Amino acid sequence: MAQKRIRKELQDFGKDPPTNCSAGPVGDDIFHWQATIMGPTDSPYYRGVFFLTINFPTDYPFKPPKVAFTTRIYHPNINSNGSICLDILRAQWSPALTISKVLLSICSLLTDPNPDDPLVPDIARTYKTDREKYFKLAKEWTEKYAQ
Amino acid sequence: MGKMLRAVFFGQLRAAEMEHLIERSWYAVTETCLAFTVFRDDFSPRFVALFTLLLFLKCFHWLAEDRIDYMERSPTISWKFHFRALSLMFVLGLLDILFVRHAFYSTMSKGPSVQLVFGFEYEILLTVVMMTFIKYLLHTIDLQSQNPWDNKAVYLLYSELVMGFVRVILYVAFVFIMIKVHTFPLFAIRPMYLTVRAFQKAAQDVILSRRAIRNMNTLYPDATPEELASGDNVCIICREEMTSGCKKLPCNHIFHTSCLRSWFQRQQTCPTCRLEVLRMSRPPHQQQQQQEQQQAPQPQQAQNQNGQAPLDQMQNPFQNMPGMFGGMPFQWNGAAGAMPPPPPFMWQPPPQQQQQQQQAAGTTGQTPSPTSPSSASLTSTAAATTPLEANAQTGGNASTATSSSPSAQVPPFPGFPPFMPGMPGMPGMMPPMFSYGFPSPPSSMAGLSDEELRVMEGIERSNVEARIQWLRDIQALLDGAMVLINQYNSVASQVNSRFSGASPPPVVPISTQQQQASSTTSANWWPAGSGARPKYSSTISNTHTTDSKKERSGSLSSTSEKDEKLIRKEKEGSSVAAGLSQKEEEIPKWSNPREEEHSDEMHEVRKRRLQHFSQQLDTSSSGLESEKNKDMDSSSSDKINPDSEGKH
Repeated sequence: MAQKRIRKELQDFGKDPPTNCSAGPVGDDIFHWQATIMGPTDSPYYRGVFFLTINFPTDYPFKPPKVAFTTRIYHPNINSNGSICLDILRAQWSPALTISKVLLSICSLLTDPNPDDPLVPDIARTYKTDREKYFKLAKEWTEKYAQ
Repeated sequence: MGKMLRAVFFGQLRAAEMEHLIERSWYAVTETCLAFTVFRDDFSPRFVALFTLLLFLKCFHWLAEDRIDYMERSPTISWKFHFRALSLMFVLGLLDILFVRHAFYSTMSKGPSVQLVFGFEYEILLTVVMMTFIKYLLHTIDLQSQNPWDNKAVYLLYSELVMGFVRVILYVAFVFIMIKVHTFPLFAIRPMYLTVRAFQKAAQDVILSRRAIRNMNTLYPDATPEELASGDNVCIICREEMTSGCKKLPCNHIFHTSCLRSWFQRQQTCPTCRLEVLRMSRPPHQQQQQQEQQQAPQPQQAQNQNGQAPLDQMQNPFQNMPGMFGGMPFQWNGAAGAMPPPPPFMWQPPPQQQQQQQQAAGTTGQTPSPTSPSSASLTSTAAATTPLEANAQTGGNASTATSSSPSAQVPPFPGFPPFMPGMPGMPGMMPPMFSYGFPSPPSSMAGLSDEELRVMEGIERSNVEARIQWLRDIQALLDGAMVLINQYNSVASQVNSRFSGASPPPVVPISTQQQQASSTTSANWWPAGSGARPKYSSTISNTHTTDSKKERSGSLSSTSEKDEKLIRKEKEGSSVAAGLSQKEEEIPKWSNPREEEHSDEMHEVRKRRLQHFSQQLDTSSSGLESEKNKDMDSSSSDKINPDSEGKH
């Protein structure tokens, strides 16, 4: 079941890839993917290329895939381990979602951080109080780690 | 040596496994250090060595777990893998048992010591090995067969539940003994908490998923081929085409039954729109309950004296009160004013609904679980329509030659919806209805006895209960509104039936006359200001009474006969339905005692409240009826409008 569905998703992803994103399995293991996200233009992550790992659980469409950044990023909802705080990757997961939708959600999270539900409170505070500083730091990190 | 063993049993470790291992080891080391503080008295090299060994074995247990989980996702499983997994589990299990035995005997002979901790740790590890083995078995069976095995997830869920239970018991016993012997085992808190959480979650999963799947099997209809053909027929869960074996959720989304089942084992929402299916499935049932309530207020009054009786009665209404079901139609048609040619098809929706809901109420009364099978009520509805049709046939034949079919009765009022003539009375009737029957917002809990309140008291659940209580109050209000609506409907149909029922063989002149009358009525009544009403109405009634007095008295006697016939027919029909619903009772119930109890309690409360309302309503409606009956006796049935108007 999981395998079939992941293969179908891979096909669909090849047919109609979302903008700024790419993804595919690492080696033979269909349950382990790598993805890249280009920093959205209207964000401080512009021109950055961020790598992510995607691990599908064995009961995949019923449980969310584990998605994590491998590239470091300065973002209120992404911590230094690369864990992403995104509701659809946790309790709000639905089997109707696909990897391309998840990657799109992550893209929009990069454009619009959610400081009210932060994973890194420091960055969230900076984002809320000193937006310019946040922009500057995020840009610096992008240049340092993601280019 | 560790590396060698690892190479023997696992070969190369995968990155994820390594990650897990490191993460878990960190916690294990921390907890071990905490354990050292408790047992600092027996601190010795041997002690440290034993703890290291425990940690070492724990690592192997975790790795075995991860490896078995990996089994499901790797496409091909070699014999080497099976051999490794089996031998590893065997060795680990054996070692665990040995250590547990050793710990047990040393505790027995030398008294409690640090061996107590080891004993429990190895017992926990033993449960881990057992769980891993169960998973291994399930995965192996799954791999053997070509098509996916639907029940695997169910078995996994249950085995997790049982293992979780065993672990919780072990931890509780451990903490209890440790507190007695030494001190509070700080190092066991985290794993214990996690275990309790896991168990709680497993139990919740089992309960909710069972309920959702039961709903799916009983309530939701199979998708028809047309539905499948009409839209995008790809199951959004597995992304494969749906050809057969599909279910439609209340939100009209269609999925494979097997996919839906797997999803409901984890969450109980619609995958597409996140509609909470468990919440959705309640209201119809409650409505049916309410209908039953309304239809049988008297017997319940009698039985409600002692709190438990209504419950029994709900579960088997036919046994306790043979007259109740048969009496219901009578009561309904009769209570609403002993009307002549009864409503069945004059005003189509209400009577049919009544009938249906009576039937449905009968079925739900027998299966009081929250998920009343729709199929059951559907079949009984089908059964209900047959006697109704028979009724209509006989009623139509008996009353007039022209109105043999239900639709033929409508035309007398071509310009107006069939309920129009009843409408004028409605605005006038509203106020007394409200004053009598409308439940005042039950802000106080006066309707509840102290006992019930006490039941709802609780340390943790009190808030939830309070909320539920409020919802019940709202429900009660809605129910009251339903009662009112039904009352209106019956009055409307009654008025209708009087118009048409008073049309004897020379139909044409009278019906046209009535048409005129009704048109004048509606023309006058509709836009009329409240002050002008009585005058108009009196003129209308006058014309009517003078014109068709004789005919009406003749028709009235015939109609009362018809009434009786109909009642008999309906009794028959309901007994048919009773037989049917008794059959439906065989539908396997899912017994979640707590849930049942809860819902029963809820029903009881609502019942009581409803009964309260319906009592009030009854008095009001009986007042209405008596007046109406008087009207009928004086054979001026058209007076109902002025009458109801004059009442307030």
